[in-house]
Amino acid sequence: MRAAAEPQADDLILSIREVKKHYPIREGALQRVVGHVRAVDGVSFDIRRGETVGLVGESGCGKTTLGRVIAALADPTEGGVHYNMDGMMSRIDRLEGKAARAFRRNCQMVFQDSFASLNPRHLVIDLVGRPLKVYNEATSANLIERVVELLEQVGLGRQHLYRYPHQFSGGQRQRISIARALALNPEVIVLDEPTSALDVSVQAQILNLLNDLQKERNLAYLFVTHDLSVVRHMADRLVVMYLGKVAEAGETQAIFDSPHHPYTRELMAAKPDLEADANVEVRGLEGNVPDPARPPRGCRFHTRCELATPACGWEVDDVVRWLEDAPGMFEHLVGVERQTDFAARLAFDSEEAAGLLSMAVRSEQVPEAMRAAMRRLNLDGDKVEIEFEDVGEIGLTARDDGRMAACVLSPEEVASWKRT
Amino acid sequence: MLDAKHGGATVASVRDLKVHFQSKRGVVHAVDGVSFDIRDGETLGLVGETGCGKSVTGRSFLRLLPVPPGILAGGSVMFSAHEVCTGCEGTGCETCEGTGRKAGQDRSVNLLGIPSEDMRRIRGDRIAMIFQDPGKALNPTLPVGAQIAEVFLQHRTDELIALAGLPADTVGAVRRFASQSPRLGDGWLLSLPGARAQRRRVEEALATMVAGALAETQVPNPAKLMARYPHELSGGMRQRVMIAQALACNPDLLIADEPTTALDVTVEARILELIRNLQQRRKTSVLYISHDLSLVRRISDRVAVMYAGRIVEIGTTTEVFANPRHPYTRGLMAAVPGADTPRGRLAAIRGTVPELVDPPAACRFCGRCPYETSACRNNDPFLEAITPSHLVACFIDHPAPSGERPNYGRVTA
Ligand SMILES: Nc1ncnc2c1ncn2[C@@H]1O[C@H](COP(=O)(O)OP(=O)(O)OP(=O)(O)O)[C@@H](O)[C@H]1O
Ligand SMILES: Nc1ncnc2c1ncn2[C@@H]1O[C@H](COP(=O)(O)OP(=O)(O)OP(=O)(O)O)[C@@H](O)[C@H]1O
Ligand code: SF4
Ligand code: SF4
Ligand SMILES: [Mg+2]
Ligand SMILES: [Mg+2]
Ligand SMILES: [Zn+2]
Repeated sequence: MRAAAEPQADDLILSIREVKKHYPIREGALQRVVGHVRAVDGVSFDIRRGETVGLVGESGCGKTTLGRVIAALADPTEGGVHYNMDGMMSRIDRLEGKAARAFRRNCQMVFQDSFASLNPRHLVIDLVGRPLKVYNEATSANLIERVVELLEQVGLGRQHLYRYPHQFSGGQRQRISIARALALNPEVIVLDEPTSALDVSVQAQILNLLNDLQKERNLAYLFVTHDLSVVRHMADRLVVMYLGKVAEAGETQAIFDSPHHPYTRELMAAKPDLEADANVEVRGLEGNVPDPARPPRGCRFHTRCELATPACGWEVDDVVRWLEDAPGMFEHLVGVERQTDFAARLAFDSEEAAGLLSMAVRSEQVPEAMRAAMRRLNLDGDKVEIEFEDVGEIGLTARDDGRMAACVLSPEEVASWKRT
Repeated sequence: MLDAKHGGATVASVRDLKVHFQSKRGVVHAVDGVSFDIRDGETLGLVGETGCGKSVTGRSFLRLLPVPPGILAGGSVMFSAHEVCTGCEGTGCETCEGTGRKAGQDRSVNLLGIPSEDMRRIRGDRIAMIFQDPGKALNPTLPVGAQIAEVFLQHRTDELIALAGLPADTVGAVRRFASQSPRLGDGWLLSLPGARAQRRRVEEALATMVAGALAETQVPNPAKLMARYPHELSGGMRQRVMIAQALACNPDLLIADEPTTALDVTVEARILELIRNLQQRRKTSVLYISHDLSLVRRISDRVAVMYAGRIVEIGTTTEVFANPRHPYTRGLMAAVPGADTPRGRLAAIRGTVPELVDPPAACRFCGRCPYETSACRNNDPFLEAITPSHLVACFIDHPAPSGERPNYGRVTA
């Protein structure tokens, strides 16, 4: 992973630079914008020719959104994706005419929801054949043969040419999407959960096929998935996302051997493979996914991290979140007067409730690290003044061998942690 | 009975189910003689090749098949809704012979034969389904909250009324209202009979229930999510909305078609826990369709393996995983990527599924099976028991009529 400010064009094919994609949240009859979902919030990494970059992370962390930005199907709110056009890196949203056409042809996407992405009124021959016609890749005489060839590559055949998408099973539809993406011989394909609808044997066929094509044509893949055994098998490098940001990135095997971010470790611990003991209880991450419209400060993972330290970005929202979960407490909160994200005065409807809160945040009921991060706590009648350490964003730092991780702890500290 | 019973009543029995599709090239035998039982409270895992008929089998329970081109070519799906034994409240006693069900006459109905009015009542109430394609199952023109609210209004009316603090006799009015307005949109409550204040209370109670159901699936910020439209959600969020919807009605039988494929492992673990809770609470049976073998192994009591429209192996989870007999089952298990499988070298089963147009009387795995002999090409193997609970359709375990018998040791090129 290159940290250089200017992407260099050699074997690079795509360079994603500080990409953000925010969606407006609208409310009320006037549909006023009341906030933004920060689906992708500053992500950078490179994709080189012939390599597979795996993109993993929890549901809703922004993987599909990022994939769509990379395939130029959505415009980034900030930042940009640079494409290596004959040795020059150019931003894809500034390409025009022939160049834009060339990019669209060379970068294909296979969508997560194959049902939504295939036009229900088109026959398979049109779905797969259309790109060939548009780019004059096939004459009407040999179109059918080309389409059959593509279908056969993904384990379908001539008998499927004149069927509509709804006449296929979920997995068969996914194979049609893959055939369509391969039609134009692209340089890079964004594969959004390409095999999650397939049984393992067909998945094996598709993964083997993708690998063969990669070797043959020096194809690059961005492989989005939540299946860690697949990503371990497929990806040269891995990007782990959490809530719109990169938590960790580096060589796949190295990350599996020793994750540097507690979130990565949790992810990898949660998935047993077929050989593992069937009776081992799979334990998911504790706690709720925070609202991407108001991501936590400091380290975004601090609300769920068992290793969190006082320096991880404890904030007023953590107190509010605690109140929301504590039975019967939230109703008594009548107002939050914020000075900053880290300091505020909480107003309650009674002195008793204010007293309860100020006791609770001093007790075992909240994480020790949160208590230690508190700089001030004043009980004043029915109000509680609270202030935390002001912490900047905990960004990615470079480690050995091109590894990057966004955590204040050292790899040894993460590795030595035993789950309680 | 096909499957040996280990106590407990049977909630559903599928017998010789056949679903065919009319196509230009002839009749496709998508599901071709499938039989199995689902017992109270059990999870039956259903795995198999893409396109082998798992979803069609699952959808048959609710008669959600496109007819035409689909043709119900035969068989039955008997369903018997839970009627809890009054003696033991379902825990099992002598009167009910340990089944936990009310003794007496058989109340089961053939889901394939009942009038559509009855089917509608069962659908979403006694039997719920989580669909493989959330994109297809959710209504794109309604906020997701309203889609879940619909379920509560129709199927959990008592709880709703109690939560809203309204007199019990309003139940009828609300339920009638809900059944009359098939689609709830914004402002639907304005047409609800009763005073304005009551309406608001119902609305609030409903919002609380919907937010609660969503929160259980761990979506971030459920209260706000309710107001969003399906296209504004990520794939996994859409799937969870559908799960919340299906679980909301406390069904006796849940057909879960790849319910967690779009979800990461941590959320998946949470969803499985929700399903398990429902099973403990209501003795809900689950038909769990999935291609994730390690997951199926963890959650299922029994497993059925389908290939080309047939069940080729069925047994307890331990039997099928520790001693897979059918060559297809063995092939599936070998195809799972392991930690040290080199790239591009996954053990895919060679070849592709045969097209199921007028299939000949032969083993359908012919052409892909490493152990195939001429007996396999001339005879059609059917499910036979190798233990009381483990059934396999292959001549390796049950010689062909000629006495010929392929074996694992002899690999045909
Ligand atoms: N509407 C339809 N018209 C024609 N054929 C259909 C139709 N729906 C399904 N089929 C065919 O029926 C077969 C079984 O489909 P089904 O959806 O049950 O497969 P599945 O086992 O669920 O596969 P997957 O794992 O890919 O979801 C497939 O071969 C499919 O092509
Ligand atoms: N069109 C849209 N309008 C508003 N919000 C959106 C839109 N599309 C996505 N989002 C939000 O952006 C966030 C990221 O969504 P995205 O689809 O990228 O997630 P994902 O990582 O692909 O998740 P999954 O694994 O569930 O598919 C989610 O909170 C989602 O609700
Ligand atoms: S910085 Fe590291 S230790 Fe702190 S909360 Fe984040 S992941 Fe946990
Ligand atoms: S019957 Fe013959 S072809 Fe069929 S699975 Fe058994 S050995 Fe293979
Ligand atoms: Mg997605
Ligand atoms: Mg299916
Ligand atoms: Zn009893």
